Amino acid sequence: MPHAITLNDITKAYGDFKAVDRFSLEVERGTVFGLLGPNGAGKTTLIKILTTLMRPTLGDAFVEGFSVLAQGKAVRRVIGVVPQENNLDRYLTARENLILHGRLHGMSPSAYNPRIDELLELTGLASRQRDFPDTFSGGMQRRLVVARALVHEPRVLFLDEPTTGLDPQSRRALWEYIRGLRRKMTVFLTTHYMDEADALCDRIMIMDHGVSLADGTAAQLKDAFSRAHVYEVEFRGDSAGHEARLSALPFVRSVVRNGTTFNITLAGEDSIKPLMDHLVGAEIRRICLKEPTLEDVFISLTGEKVRE
Amino acid sequence: MFRGAFSIWGRDLLVLRRSILSELISVVAYPLTLYLAFGFGLRGYITDVEGVPYSLFIAPGLISMTAVNAAFDESAWSMWFHRRVQRTIEEYRVTPVTVYDIVIGKIFSGFSQGAIKGAVVFLVIMLLTPFRIDYSHLPIYLLCIAISSMTFSCVGTICGTVIDKPENIGRMQSVVIVPLIFMAGIFFPLSSYPPAVLPFIKLLPTTAIFEGSRDALLSGFVPGYYLVNLVLSAALCFAIAVFTFNRKMAE
Repeated sequence: MPHAITLNDITKAYGDFKAVDRFSLEVERGTVFGLLGPNGAGKTTLIKILTTLMRPTLGDAFVEGFSVLAQGKAVRRVIGVVPQENNLDRYLTARENLILHGRLHGMSPSAYNPRIDELLELTGLASRQRDFPDTFSGGMQRRLVVARALVHEPRVLFLDEPTTGLDPQSRRALWEYIRGLRRKMTVFLTTHYMDEADALCDRIMIMDHGVSLADGTAAQLKDAFSRAHVYEVEFRGDSAGHEARLSALPFVRSVVRNGTTFNITLAGEDSIKPLMDHLVGAEIRRICLKEPTLEDVFISLTGEKVRE
Repeated sequence: MFRGAFSIWGRDLLVLRRSILSELISVVAYPLTLYLAFGFGLRGYITDVEGVPYSLFIAPGLISMTAVNAAFDESAWSMWFHRRVQRTIEEYRVTPVTVYDIVIGKIFSGFSQGAIKGAVVFLVIMLLTPFRIDYSHLPIYLLCIAISSMTFSCVGTICGTVIDKPENIGRMQSVVIVPLIFMAGIFFPLSSYPPAVLPFIKLLPTTAIFEGSRDALLSGFVPGYYLVNLVLSAALCFAIAVFTFNRKMAE
């Protein structure tokens, strides 16, 4: 299958700091690709490079075969962009925002008017098309930004944290809409939300410090992580003494304590018996194998430390 | 060509149309107050300046000042607002328009605002005062105002591009724009300056704007050196505006 997006050894450096470091990627046409990473991982930098808002320090990227370095205008013709912030024009009505976008893409009124009617219907904003965005809820503004990005029927849609700050209903509504775009265009999505990536993406890449850490479908990533064998053990009564003892065991990779419950990551399958031997005599309320979530994969790869 | 610039210009005119009445009231109030205060208040003390009645002497400058101030304000604040607050510049930049389209669109908007507001002040002064002109002088005057508005629009675009804090745009106006306007002889003849200073004052683009437009309106003739100054200033400011915007966007 031909690639909609190709990144060849992209580096973006600010002095000695590398926001993106020799990053390479190919995204298949018609798929929903999710880029996950904590704050400062380099996700937005990559989107800015791919949408020609920023030039890479080294390397080149191609969108639908057009180089972001040499054919910026051609790249911008085939992309739609939903930025992190709702950068709507508050002095224009919802419809006028879409019209201006169509005009900036060189569309004629006969081309953009039916398309705008269709998009306003699809996003449920038809009855509010003559209102100004300031009077809209966060979810409605977000839907309008998505509609605006689709006026010119782009071949690749970039969504930079599209549901941040939305209530659960608005998030679900936007997910439905993005699902509807699958196969019609390539969607490149960045998000902090694991459930979002899990629900929407055909392929997920986890990145941090400007490099890729893991790549695959949500199921593949969870499956790879499940081999780490995480057990959840809940003790009765005082369990403070267990933490140090468990951490000291040679076959235990990590211990995360939450009250009387411990998440114990073992080195391998053969570590289960020695763990059980060690726990003999301890007052245990519950012990179970913990099925990993995408969030567990993410945290295990990027760490628990809060990023600025 | 420049399809993007016309789209951005069209957007700005649509927004202006919605608030035209309140805009014009606030824009007309300031120069009209100055005209009434100086033109009438000082009439008993200053009868004429180099043979021109004082109220007639200051009128072209006030009209020009309205136009160039409006051009500066629109370009500076609009660019700043679209860049820092609404971030709509980012939306423009992910469409196939070029940096030139954005800068030229904003300069057109500044120029249009200057032309509309200057024309309204002109009409109001005509309506309320005995100020009259020879209408055959109008085309050359409008040419001066067009080039001047273009210059101030470019300066506004540069300020709106490089200045991040809004209070600094206000400071720029107070410290640079207003003194340049008032030093250029709106309210007094340039002959009031000491001979040693006068050559430098004549080199100021604002002098070319206000003296040139006064000459245009009152005599129908603009001295060549003022016209050259106007065109060179506009060309230089445009080049700097494009360069600055391009560089800022690349950061």
